[in-house]
Amino acid sequence: MINTLLELKEVSYVNKNNFTLKNISLKIKSGEKIALLGKSGAGKTTLISILNGTIKPNKGKVKLFNTEFDKLNLYQKSKISTIWQDLRLIEDLSAEQNVNCGLLGKRSFLFAFKNLLNISSFKKAHQYMKVCNLQKSIFSKNIRKISGGQKQRVAIARSLIQESDILLADEPFNNLDPKITLNIKNLLLINKNKIKVPNTTLVSLHRLDLLNDFNRIIGMKYGEILFDLEKTKLKKSHLNMIY
Amino acid sequence: MNKLKLNPSSITFLAILVCLPLAYELFINFHIGGIELFKEFVISAFNPKINNEIIFTLVKRLNETFLIAFSSWLISIIFGIFFGILSSEIFYKILNLPIFLRSFLNLFLTFIRSIHELIWGLILMQIYGINFSIGIIAICLPFIAINAKVFSEQIENINHKTIESIKQINGTKSSTLLTLVWAPILKTYKNYGLYRLECAIRSTAVLGLFGVGGIGTSIFLCFQTLNFRELWTYLWGLAFLIIISKELLKKFNLSKTSEKFLTYFIIALFCISLFSLYFFVYFIFNKNAIPFNSINNFLISNFSLISYDFLKLLLETIVLCLLSTGITISFPPICILIFNNKIGIKIIRSISFLFRLIPPPVLILILLMFNDPSISLAAITLGLHNAAITSKLLLVNLHNQDNKQYIAMKSLGVSKRSSWLLGSFVKQANSYLAYCAYRSDIIIRETAILGVIGSVGLGWQLQESLSSFAWEEVIIILFAYSSIAIIGELINGKIKSNLA
Repeated sequence: MINTLLELKEVSYVNKNNFTLKNISLKIKSGEKIALLGKSGAGKTTLISILNGTIKPNKGKVKLFNTEFDKLNLYQKSKISTIWQDLRLIEDLSAEQNVNCGLLGKRSFLFAFKNLLNISSFKKAHQYMKVCNLQKSIFSKNIRKISGGQKQRVAIARSLIQESDILLADEPFNNLDPKITLNIKNLLLINKNKIKVPNTTLVSLHRLDLLNDFNRIIGMKYGEILFDLEKTKLKKSHLNMIY
Repeated sequence: MNKLKLNPSSITFLAILVCLPLAYELFINFHIGGIELFKEFVISAFNPKINNEIIFTLVKRLNETFLIAFSSWLISIIFGIFFGILSSEIFYKILNLPIFLRSFLNLFLTFIRSIHELIWGLILMQIYGINFSIGIIAICLPFIAINAKVFSEQIENINHKTIESIKQINGTKSSTLLTLVWAPILKTYKNYGLYRLECAIRSTAVLGLFGVGGIGTSIFLCFQTLNFRELWTYLWGLAFLIIISKELLKKFNLSKTSEKFLTYFIIALFCISLFSLYFFVYFIFNKNAIPFNSINNFLISNFSLISYDFLKLLLETIVLCLLSTGITISFPPICILIFNNKIGIKIIRSISFLFRLIPPPVLILILLMFNDPSISLAAITLGLHNAAITSKLLLVNLHNQDNKQYIAMKSLGVSKRSSWLLGSFVKQANSYLAYCAYRSDIIIRETAILGVIGSVGLGWQLQESLSSFAWEEVIIILFAYSSIAIIGELINGKIKSNLA
């Protein structure tokens, strides 16, 4: 039997900026590789924010490991990691310090303190940075001083180092060149490296040429899920519905 | 004719209008009785007295000044950071604590910082007698509250999305908080914390004028005996101390130090925090304190405060603040506009350094050589001292900004002054005015200094009440000071947010 890791039950959300989700029900099972499609403003980012517990829905329930979000402890919550569309890195820290921040869920206060003083071990951070195609020369560089694509990979490394069970990624291939895009996609979906990568992944994206390694596709428009099907069943008519 | 449009640039220049009543009163009160003294004072600046005895005294006094200033600076930075975190919203959000605790703490800190260090010093001196520790505690009290406000404002600027992303990693609450506040605290320390040492040195000098010790005491004694050559030896010594301490601290870069050094540094900080806390507690409960029995009178007092013209003094203090703020805002851009060339700017820099260096009580005593005591004289003293500080900031910001527009305007054949005004200053006007709004908060507190030396406003009454141990009056004056400062802070906060 396949476990349900994340579940949304009749979730609706309206905020002051009118980003809305209308009555969404969704189950994410262990091992699924889900692509989330939709035009800009369709509600993909809002859905991801609800899935990781950052925003609370106005209506409906969100469950992780069959437990409501409010009742989860920190350890359980740390089983979800997110790559944000706007990256949300700490600008005044270096790339490796930012990646090490991903370990905060598993380490003590002393680790956080040493990381900020730049005296903690960066061995693990460097390992993850390398698989994200980041060169050694940028490891200790300040986030402000690196390019958009490098920042994107730092954010990816930060979320992977969490070694979570579920990865939610909001347009993670932005700013990346075609070769690196392919590498990162392979890393997230068919990991052949020695590092641990989440087994379950939901990725919001715009590029249809990157859909081949996903096994489930969800299409959204105006805050509603218009289709939710296996990759093999995706037809052009489905795409016409959302674009 | 079109209506006058108020914008940051026009407001900056319109503030010069305060000079009309000021100039009138100064003109009426003008006399040349002290011209010879003033001449001697100016000449002495280039011919300070140097001999073994004076050098020995200077070094001793500088040591005392540095010890008081450095101790109070370090303690106020450590506790300022601590209270800055405690008074920021993010602390209560991450630790899920009730937000009303923050409001209580902020109110308490606002009260503490609304009272100038000189007033704290005078009160503590009345209670505990003249004591070396007075200087440190008197400076620490408002400085901790001021630093807490600045650190808290910077922590509040953290992007809420960054907060969400770090919270989402689900580390312990203490790790999350530390990771988020670390960078803004370090940045504020570098941009603002180091400057506070200069402020602490100047405040120590001012407290010294009232007997706390350090270089200020020597400066005041020299002024009283009109020994201007020796006075200038001490003033130049003070300048040397400010410059050297600033340069030394600039060299101390936390991020480039070794692991071992950092560990010692953190242990030292921890020890200082514990020691200073012990010091505060010990000082307050020290049994050697002079008993201030008269505070009991407060409870049985009939508040015969109507006997003196309390409202008049209150009004004088407010007028003094407004006039000084007008000078502080308008003088620097007008001077730069008029003397807009390399030599002119150098002269402005040198003069503003002198006005920053000479403590306001000494400055007003110098100006009294030409003028009778009045609100205008106090206003021009306070205004010039603060204009010297705002001019430094304006010149630094103008120097650092991109001057493409200035070059473009000059290439069109526009005059140098007009190009500076429209191509350079307009870009700075907003942030300059926002800083002046912050500066006016400080001016409100500084009115106490001039009042205390017998000029005008509530400070004068405070000195009288303190001298006669009339604690009921002291408390009411403190309350009045605090109210003016808090109202001023609220108005300035509104102005700053509108400008932002």
